[in-house]
Amino acid sequence: MRLKFKWIFTLLIALSMQFSFAQEKTVSGIVSDQSGPVPGVNVVVKGTNRSAQTDFDGKYAVRASSGEVLMFSFIGMNDVSVTVGASSSVNVKLQSTAKSLEEVVVVAYGKQKAKSIVGSVVTVGKEVLEKQQATSVLTALQGSVAGVNIISAGGQPGENPVIRIRGTGSINASSEPLIILDGAPFSGNLNSISSDQIESMSVLKDASSTALYGSRGSNGVIVITTKRGKLGTAPKVTFSTLVGFAGNAVKLHDLVGSDKYMEYTWEGIRNANQYVANQPAATAGLNASNSLVSSLGYNPYTTAVPVNADGKLVSSEKKWETNWADLMLNDSAIRSEHSFAVSGGSDNTSYAFSTNYLSQEGNVVTSNFDRVTTRLSIDSKVNDWLTAGITSFYSTSSQNFPTQSGNSFQSAVQWIYTIPSIYPLYQRNGNGDLIVDGNGNNIFDYGANSAQLINGNRPQLNNENAYGSLFNYKIKNKRDNFTANAYLQVTLAKDLLFKTNLAYDKYLFDSYNYASNEVGYASSVDGRVTQNRDITTSTNLINSLSYTKSFGDHNFGANLIQEAYKFEIDALGAQGEGFLPGVYVLDGSTTPSSVSGSTTEERISSYLGRLSYNYKEKYFLEGSYRKDGSSRFNSDVRWGDFFAVAGSWLLSEENFLKDNNVINFLKLKGSYGELGNNRLTSYFPYLQLFSTGWNELDNTGVVLGAAVDPNITWEKTASSNVGLEFGLFNNRIFGTVDYYSKESVDLIYNKPLPGSTGNTGITTNVGSIKNYGWEFSLSTRNVSTANFLWTTGLNFSFDNNEITELTQKSFTNGNKRWEVGRSLYEFYMQEWAGVDPATGYGMWYKDVLATDGTPTGERVTTKAYAEATRYYVDKSSLPDVVGGFTNFFKYKNLDLNVLFNFSFGAYVYDSTYASLMEGFESSGRAAHQDLATRWQQPGDITDVPLFLASNNDFNSQSTRFLFKNDYIRLKALNLGYSLPQSLIERAKLSKMRLFLQADNLLTFQSHKGIDPEQDFGGATNSRSYNQRVVSFGVNLEF
Amino acid sequence: MKAIFSKILVAFMAVIILASCSEDFLNEPKPTDGVSEPVVFSSRAGVEAFISGIMRNFRGQYTNVDSAGLNSIFFARTVKGNDIIQANNWFGFDYANDNREPTYRRTSFTWNYCFYMINQANALINGVEASTVLADADKKELMAYGYALRGFFYHQLVMEFAPTYSFDQNFPAPPIYKSLSTTGNGMSTVKEVYDLIVDDLTKAVDGLNSSRLGKSYINKNVANGILAQVYQVMGNWPGAEAAAKAAYGGNTAAVLNAAGYRAGFNDYSNVEWIWGSAQSSDQSNYYWGFPHVGTDFTTTSYTSTHINVDFASLFSATDVRRLFQLRSATLPVTDFRYWITSKFKFTFDADHPIIRSSEMILIEAEALQRQTKDLQAHDLLYTLQKNRDVNAIRSTNTGPALLEEILVERRKELYAEVGVEWFDAKRLRRGITRTGNHRIKAAANLTADDKKFFLKIPQAEIDANDLIEESINANR
Repeated sequence: MRLKFKWIFTLLIALSMQFSFAQEKTVSGIVSDQSGPVPGVNVVVKGTNRSAQTDFDGKYAVRASSGEVLMFSFIGMNDVSVTVGASSSVNVKLQSTAKSLEEVVVVAYGKQKAKSIVGSVVTVGKEVLEKQQATSVLTALQGSVAGVNIISAGGQPGENPVIRIRGTGSINASSEPLIILDGAPFSGNLNSISSDQIESMSVLKDASSTALYGSRGSNGVIVITTKRGKLGTAPKVTFSTLVGFAGNAVKLHDLVGSDKYMEYTWEGIRNANQYVANQPAATAGLNASNSLVSSLGYNPYTTAVPVNADGKLVSSEKKWETNWADLMLNDSAIRSEHSFAVSGGSDNTSYAFSTNYLSQEGNVVTSNFDRVTTRLSIDSKVNDWLTAGITSFYSTSSQNFPTQSGNSFQSAVQWIYTIPSIYPLYQRNGNGDLIVDGNGNNIFDYGANSAQLINGNRPQLNNENAYGSLFNYKIKNKRDNFTANAYLQVTLAKDLLFKTNLAYDKYLFDSYNYASNEVGYASSVDGRVTQNRDITTSTNLINSLSYTKSFGDHNFGANLIQEAYKFEIDALGAQGEGFLPGVYVLDGSTTPSSVSGSTTEERISSYLGRLSYNYKEKYFLEGSYRKDGSSRFNSDVRWGDFFAVAGSWLLSEENFLKDNNVINFLKLKGSYGELGNNRLTSYFPYLQLFSTGWNELDNTGVVLGAAVDPNITWEKTASSNVGLEFGLFNNRIFGTVDYYSKESVDLIYNKPLPGSTGNTGITTNVGSIKNYGWEFSLSTRNVSTANFLWTTGLNFSFDNNEITELTQKSFTNGNKRWEVGRSLYEFYMQEWAGVDPATGYGMWYKDVLATDGTPTGERVTTKAYAEATRYYVDKSSLPDVVGGFTNFFKYKNLDLNVLFNFSFGAYVYDSTYASLMEGFESSGRAAHQDLATRWQQPGDITDVPLFLASNNDFNSQSTRFLFKNDYIRLKALNLGYSLPQSLIERAKLSKMRLFLQADNLLTFQSHKGIDPEQDFGGATNSRSYNQRVVSFGVNLEF
Repeated sequence: MKAIFSKILVAFMAVIILASCSEDFLNEPKPTDGVSEPVVFSSRAGVEAFISGIMRNFRGQYTNVDSAGLNSIFFARTVKGNDIIQANNWFGFDYANDNREPTYRRTSFTWNYCFYMINQANALINGVEASTVLADADKKELMAYGYALRGFFYHQLVMEFAPTYSFDQNFPAPPIYKSLSTTGNGMSTVKEVYDLIVDDLTKAVDGLNSSRLGKSYINKNVANGILAQVYQVMGNWPGAEAAAKAAYGGNTAAVLNAAGYRAGFNDYSNVEWIWGSAQSSDQSNYYWGFPHVGTDFTTTSYTSTHINVDFASLFSATDVRRLFQLRSATLPVTDFRYWITSKFKFTFDADHPIIRSSEMILIEAEALQRQTKDLQAHDLLYTLQKNRDVNAIRSTNTGPALLEEILVERRKELYAEVGVEWFDAKRLRRGITRTGNHRIKAAANLTADDKKFFLKIPQAEIDANDLIEESINANR
């Protein structure tokens, strides 16, 4: 009733408006939605100020001439535009922006109505992509699709996230989903695609939806469809520009400053003197004062003995205090993105063209990513039986990629957490004064001046200066990606369609690495340039026949498809040494030290078919089968058979539900299938070869390669899915629930061999793992009035992993131990038992053993780390639940979208924190402020052991550094204001929207100091930080 | 009409494409990064390429900086002794004599690396033997090469994973493999391994001749050198005397060059080097090249290796081998960093010594002394001493005192090269007591027949090998 009142109200407004009629004819019609006529719909003749609104019966009338475009818009509904033809009557049906069941969804080798989908498919449309600054498009799936776990670690722009659809299904073969771009497998780098060019991304999760990609579908499939023009639409031009700033998304670990650092180090040495070397307390303190500077190698203080025998700083006056994090991390990185697109179509040809430029600076000061992409697609109806189309795409990017993770000396974040502030950026002499070069410039201090006893030799990361190396080393990646994708579609007979599709993709990757001739790791050979150029070419041909037929209530569909895939990597590389200063190209090398080159090819040949049947669009059945031959396997075993069967039942079409007021829609679905995976790291895993390249000086050398299983074949995954979809209260609440179970059969696994055989493993088909879990998604339209719309979406999944078969009892893999019945991600390590109040030493638990050597079940503490027992600590790096929560508000011309993503229940082993909590065992390592609560005297109750500059295991691997890694992140916030139509019409615009876009604006996390997104194994790796990006932008459309 | 014709054409093309032979399509890709077995074993050049590949792996980047290749096994032995002091850096745990647990890198590296090389040797021996193309004379020589390799690495293995030969010949020793296998064999005994080693090396000495592809390769002299070390451990003194002499050729004047000792120990063309790993700037294990990368303080390196003051004081001022410098003028003599050495010059193309003539001369001298030919032993020892130090005075030691003098000479001659101090302490069943300015002293001492003289069996081996019991490490 209230709704009706509102419509009447808007109608009154409409009637009060002034219509200005030109000499054109009057076009009229009825606008309706599923439930009937819609009053109050805005009807605008594009590019003019002529407009109208529908009346109470959904009727409208507006003056327009043929060829002009009518735009219909109503809050909560998708916009519709229609070109006026000869007829003066245009009736329009609007679709709710909420999930529509008639909506067409991109699936394997085609499209289907959402209603008829029997598998588990989730589509992320452009409306989601538009509200995020996804430099790599895949990051936009995070928090938007249940059952997809995404980690985008690090702050280097242009890197792709790691994606697991329904868990990790493979150990030695790839667990990454297959990416299909416009119908063909994509083998370039996904960072070459800009998100504004994408129409939708469909995530195919269960066997029935991925079975047609059978051979490579076991890890799920992401089908990306790019934007195309529509037949019979007027040209539309969009332009958008965006500029913003980025800084760290989360705070860094808290480090102690120089003053504290000196006193703490003194305490560590004093304790070693007193408790290990058994010196009397006073002597121990005095000796510590005297050896402090020699132990650190540097003295930033003006006093020669900066800490007195009582452990107090003599004077805080110092010549330098270096804040490495401020120097090396960029808290005002600039991001700018501009895009321009034109699309439209006549009666038989449509086109879309877009170009996009992106420039983004990264988390580490010199890192950046620049990209230009251009895409053009044309579709043409040649005649009544032939349609042809082509998409071509070119992208070029360059990336400055200084080392920012891992443990090489120049790794930026490791440096910040290893080198304390007492070490200088620039070289100092023995007195602590700056040394300058001949031009009076400062010289970066590499801490490897062995001639100088003080301020010459840094004990940690010697011969390196990570800040200097940002400028003295150069790491650059350049990528060029060209794709052409063409199809020809022939209507052979009524209901019988033939389509051939050829996709060609060429990807050039150039990686360039320069290490300085003067300082750092290659200075002893006068610098080194390494440059590699890999050209990847892939060709994919698909021929398909499709047939659809209906007999009364029986509807049939059949597809017959043949596919051939060809992939080649042509790699070429060169390395040279001996460079003059300022020479950065191989031409300048005096010693060309190595060249390399190889060609690797892979092919897949496939035959596939799909049969579908439904009765009255109520009962659906689908079966698919695929046969694949892969060049990665021996000819006897290279063919794999994959299949899936699925069915669904639309309960809401049954009489007992048909007129239900609450339940509008209810669907039950189920599927089972067996899918494959051939993506091993080796292209010829079945061939025992002698590998080349092991030359001994001038003599050619080969060695026997690793042991192989000549009969290695497809890894298969048996996958089942049961799901329920429901729509309640006039589809204002729409939800899905899915249960899945995926068990790998013939897992491709590196079976451990006894090292005494000369090989430590053989890659073969053994073992099995299982992933299973629940997925939920719910979308609601909370408020929907003429001026105000509020919708909510929530999705989350519970994913579990279990090892179901292994070739040996257990297998220790870092801080995990794989055992049947456990997950790949369960931590297995020493359990921390706190600090002994009497001695300040760390303790761990160990099992009490019976006389026969078996554990009695009892356990005691030990101060000897080597005796500590390793336990399953009942903690896993796999989260219990991951998901996303989104809210969209629209009030008149203002719109706001907020997307949170979250992860709960995972644990992370923070080895960075462990290193910061070392407690001065080795000299000159950075320290965490949490050390303040360390044990100082007998009786102290604390969890931080005493500082001890002597061999100890206090920070060795144990549960002491295993932390809960729950987080909620405000991943994307988008606030927009669309200028009123009346205003922009004068500028011949159809849309102008100003917006504020903020990514990673807020992060709530249970363990601070690191970005919560690390890796699936729950390990840190001194990664740079994800960026918080805040940008302003404008969209124009005309 | 035309439309129908076109449609038929399109459909026809589709059928053609569908029916095209996909087996050929799949057979076309071939690997480019390797060659097949027949290519290797069908010519002498092919087998020599295989041998070259194996030799390249003497100095690789196998696991990590301290587990790179043969040089890492030698340097771990070096830092376990008393003469060398290692900073808390790479090899720090070996220095603490604390790096032998079943899951540690030292343990798994030494095991896996030696067995990797043994597997390559087995592939060489069996591949050559099965070849019907190679000439018989070639087959004998090339198989002998494989036997030499297998003998050498089994000797490293048995020394690293079992007590010494004279301690208990029935002690469980690493499994024996003579052919390729993907299933594990059970433990052998110390005696079985030494029987295999002696058999292999005897066949190697018999089959090889003096020619070789380069000084990093094995020839008859090198095989004799390896055999001399084996006999030295076993206490076969006539055998050791003969093999050592055969290794350096018997003419001491021709194989000693005092000046060469001060040239940086990085060039295997030195006349004193019988066998060394070659490196070049593009075929290098780079910063994994201990001892050079630890001892050389004049260039970019780990600057981690120091000399015990007690050891430095053994050298006379005019001894060419006294290559010691003060780390700094201000460090007290009690500081472990007091002495450093310039014996090894680090560059990426620095070669690594494996067997030098002076070691062979000293084995011969020891063998003579053991056979109570003290006078001959003394002559030989003095030849070397005089070469190294113009002011050397012939000592009057006889009997056990002479033996001790020879052992000290071995340390002075070979320090930081191949772990001589550990090798002698182990075979002679003596301990090693830390003295002087050591960083870790008594805690790292080794008693006679200390279990710390050998490593435990790697856990990964036990887990994957059905024939090795979980309890194998109970008494290790």
